[in-house]
Amino acid sequence: MSGGTPSAWRLGRRQRRRIGTGVAYVIAIGAVLLTLFPLYWLFVISTKTPREAFETPPSLIYVPDFSRYFSIWSSAGFGHAFVNSIIVVIVGVLLALLIAAPAAYAMVRFRVRGGRWLRLWLLLAYTTPEFLFVIPMYVLYQQFGLYDTQIGLALIYQLFAVPFATWLLQSFFEEVPQDLGDAARVDGCSELETLLRIYLPLAAPGVAATAILVGINMWNEVTIALSLTFDQGRTVTIAVAGFRGYAAIRWQEMTAAAVTAVVPMIVFAAVAQRYLVKGLTFGAVK
Amino acid sequence: MTAPSISGPITRSRADRGGRFLVPLVLSLGLISIYPTVYSLYMSFFDWNWGQRFNFVGIANYLDLASNELFRTALLNTFVFAIGAVGLELVLGLGLALVVNRLGRGAGIIRTLLLIPLMVSGIAVAIVWKILLDPTIGIVNYGLHLVGIGSIGFLGDPNMAMASIILIDTWWQTAFVFIVLSAGLQGLPREVLEAAEVDGATTLQRLRYVTLPLLRPILIVVLMFRTIDCLKVFAIIFGTTGGGPLTTTESVQILAYQTAFRQTNMSLSMTMMVIFAVIVLVVVLAYLRLGVTRGTNL
Repeated sequence: MSGGTPSAWRLGRRQRRRIGTGVAYVIAIGAVLLTLFPLYWLFVISTKTPREAFETPPSLIYVPDFSRYFSIWSSAGFGHAFVNSIIVVIVGVLLALLIAAPAAYAMVRFRVRGGRWLRLWLLLAYTTPEFLFVIPMYVLYQQFGLYDTQIGLALIYQLFAVPFATWLLQSFFEEVPQDLGDAARVDGCSELETLLRIYLPLAAPGVAATAILVGINMWNEVTIALSLTFDQGRTVTIAVAGFRGYAAIRWQEMTAAAVTAVVPMIVFAAVAQRYLVKGLTFGAVK
Repeated sequence: MTAPSISGPITRSRADRGGRFLVPLVLSLGLISIYPTVYSLYMSFFDWNWGQRFNFVGIANYLDLASNELFRTALLNTFVFAIGAVGLELVLGLGLALVVNRLGRGAGIIRTLLLIPLMVSGIAVAIVWKILLDPTIGIVNYGLHLVGIGSIGFLGDPNMAMASIILIDTWWQTAFVFIVLSAGLQGLPREVLEAAEVDGATTLQRLRYVTLPLLRPILIVVLMFRTIDCLKVFAIIFGTTGGGPLTTTESVQILAYQTAFRQTNMSLSMTMMVIFAVIVLVVVLAYLRLGVTRGTNL
């Protein structure tokens, strides 16, 4: 940094910067490969024969066999569980939006009395270890016939879905110009109409992204689904683990099922890509 | 930011009207968060095994757990896991965020690809890594064999199991740290960083004295969410070791699950969770004291 003419110094810095960027690319691409390889391998195992799958050295060139992507649907209740998950996610997400949208609206538009405590409550609900409420809910659900049902799961998923959705919707509602809401009020809209006609439509992409992210979380949930369902209400995530079988683990089916359960989520995430960062940061990054 | 303050005479009535919109939230959270908490607390003073026996035992469950070796092991394991995983994820996530922040073309696609593990459920993650880390058929051991390292037991080796679980979580969740810190880095005031560079600060100095202090609030948010999430660890252990070998990966939530659903010792598992929830609560409140939520919607 010291010595040399100013122009030489500048050149040195530029060169160093170029090398630094090159190194950065190498590291980043290495990280991408490390990130993707396990999932690639999951797919590879699902398309190999049992003998091929675990031979050493692993055969890199083989004829992929996709038959398990068809056979899993009628096996180990996977198809039924897949439908269950769709139902749980749709009902759960609708419920979450129904509860979180008005709450987020109120928190953005009004100075809510006790708002600080409400925020704390949301955070604590979100951070509660699952089994604190899963075990009592198991007892309650057994009594009320909600055990092993889709609706029972959708209800309890609100515990993490509502705080998450409220935080996200708040950050999306904040982007709606306050003046528009005020103008709607002057024009005679009630607060509810202002929410429905101004805020929700204007924040529609954000609301959709919220729905997608909450949905992905519900789809992937393990702890609660494992404890509160058994057979009829079982979700896809739990069904994937169900390919364990009695004698041996059916790796090919299990991996095919895992890939089948994961791919839709990656697609949804890609759809919501623009809003993903905001969603993953709980709207905390402005 | 919180709601912009509203001045003038309408403030009062507006505040009143806001309350109605919170009714569904309060009802739903009340039902699924207050009720179970109170129920667990109540049951922790009873002896109940999902049968006829239902006796008030005072604080016997708490005393039992205080001297319970397995519960203590589970608590210790849980914290070892959380500290190890969060530390590793923080270092890697921050490093990756700094690296990707330097990139020009392709940064967007790299960022997106790095996020993919976050879309995978814990069970699928467990399956993937069980296959990869298998001592005999796993490809990781095959790779180690190629470079002349003998077979490592990973998940089946009592000395390696916890490290393996930490490794799995790191693969799974580093992306969360990465993406939040990436967003934080992009939001930093460019002038300040440039000024430091013009003043001759080295890359490390800029990181130490400019970037990290500016990132502090967002770092704490990330740390809090990762810490809590790790303390709650369940799926990746359930899907791989189930708490073993021996009790080397037994976490609190795994133990509570086994106690409630395998041994049907309902009251004891609820007592465990009451104690553990208080511990988690203390951790959350400690983070809040650091000012996590300032400037956010949390």
